[in-house]
Amino acid sequence: MSLDTNTNIIDKNEEFKPLIVAFCCNWCSYAGADLAGTSRLNYPANIKIIRVPCSCRVNINFVLRAFQNGADGVVIAGCHPGDCHYSTGNYHTRRRFSLITNLAEYVGVEKERFKVDWISAAEGNKFATVMNDILEDVYKLGPNKKLRDARWKI
Amino acid sequence: MENITKKIRAVAKQALINKEIDKILGWKKGDLWSESYPVFITKPEDADSLIWDSFCINNLSKYLIKELPKYDKIGIFIKGCDSTSFNQLLKDNRINRENVVLYGIPCEGMVDPEKVKKIMLNDRVTRVKKSENGFTLTNKNTSKDVLGEEIKYDKCLTCTSPNPVVYDQLLGDVVNNNVNREDRFKGVEEIESMTPDERYNFWKGEFQRCLRCNACRDICPACSCVKCVFDNSDAEISGKAKTEGEDTFFHIVRAYHVAGRCVDCGECARICPAGIPLDKLNRKIIKDINEVYGEFNAGLDSTTPAPLVTFKLEDADTFSKQGGK
Ligand code: SF4
Ligand code: SF4
Ligand code: SF4
Repeated sequence: MSLDTNTNIIDKNEEFKPLIVAFCCNWCSYAGADLAGTSRLNYPANIKIIRVPCSCRVNINFVLRAFQNGADGVVIAGCHPGDCHYSTGNYHTRRRFSLITNLAEYVGVEKERFKVDWISAAEGNKFATVMNDILEDVYKLGPNKKLRDARWKI
Repeated sequence: MENITKKIRAVAKQALINKEIDKILGWKKGDLWSESYPVFITKPEDADSLIWDSFCINNLSKYLIKELPKYDKIGIFIKGCDSTSFNQLLKDNRINRENVVLYGIPCEGMVDPEKVKKIMLNDRVTRVKKSENGFTLTNKNTSKDVLGEEIKYDKCLTCTSPNPVVYDQLLGDVVNNNVNREDRFKGVEEIESMTPDERYNFWKGEFQRCLRCNACRDICPACSCVKCVFDNSDAEISGKAKTEGEDTFFHIVRAYHVAGRCVDCGECARICPAGIPLDKLNRKIIKDINEVYGEFNAGLDSTTPAPLVTFKLEDADTFSKQGGK
């Protein structure tokens, strides 16, 4: 899909508001989101945050179901490697989602739609940047149609 | 092959007579030239029905999960790919090594009846026999020589472990099939070089033929969960709807569940009635593991921890800008 055809989609569908689902680790990224909020940083409202106890709690089913049921982009955010509240959870996240990121790309999901990143509780700024970036990328790509469950309605 | 058949019968009979084993898992000939079935034998006199030919494709090791609780000691014949499966079952704690006697058979590759039928469909093949540099297909009136590459299973053409990697006794001479380990990734590379839309359409075309028969799971030595998520309605991932999203969901989850444990035996792709190239999904994961975390071949032994149950502090990742450092 080239950028031009995407712009067309957006032209035709001016209403397109990307829906992003962000799985955030309770101890770092969720607090990072809080900080972004209390610091009054701008990040888009159409990001649905789902709080998880650890980034390694997110499994592949969550991500696929999000895409099936309406997400245009999915983010998984956890503590930086070394800072896991449970010591080792995010090291497992790192391995698992390295493979899953590649696998999703391999079955045709644009890599801009699915992001994993490390955001600490002190990184309100980074939280806002990561969210703004994915929103922009997904906006350019247009609505997600891949993996969509045919029975899904807005 | 006749030699090995003789050896198989002899060891089986002897072991059963001496009560070294209670049951033996092997193959026997079916009604058609193309059929060699798994057979379970407990009586010494039945050992003469055992065979070894170019159609003993079935992997017997997974039967051990169900058979071992019923017997103290089971003997089993295993080819190269069956032996890696055996190791994987050991690693997953599904079977006990002490309760099994392994008779290893070096494998020169099995014949795909579908490929034979394509060559000689209307000529009613009655026999496929190994010849010096290939096979001889025979029917009532004529015979035809073909090369092994023409009629062997795809999975056998890229097989990286024709010789059993674990056994108690080896029947037959070690074989060398000169396969380059990297060759098996060619199909994956082709898909990787497509655009995202092409890739999606390719897989959509494949996945939509899926019958959700679960044969790929049932035959897989790495898929041995007592209760599979796809059978567990409480897991809420067993959507049965025949929609594009569910098909893709099933396939990604299946492939990911065997990540780091798939021994690349190729059985899932062989058994799939819809001809979906599942090997190209599994091998993508194997290729990525090799590239990101170092070469790993599941099933080569039964002790090295699988890549997804372990980690290193200095691991790289494939998603962050700094590569995870
Ligand atoms: S996923 Fe397929 S190739 Fe891998 S171990 Fe299972 S049956 Fe064999
Ligand atoms: S698909 Fe997953 S849950 Fe089912 S048997 Fe395989 S590994 Fe186990
Ligand atoms: S064996 Fe083939 S058709 Fe059956 S569930 Fe697996 S992929 Fe689908």
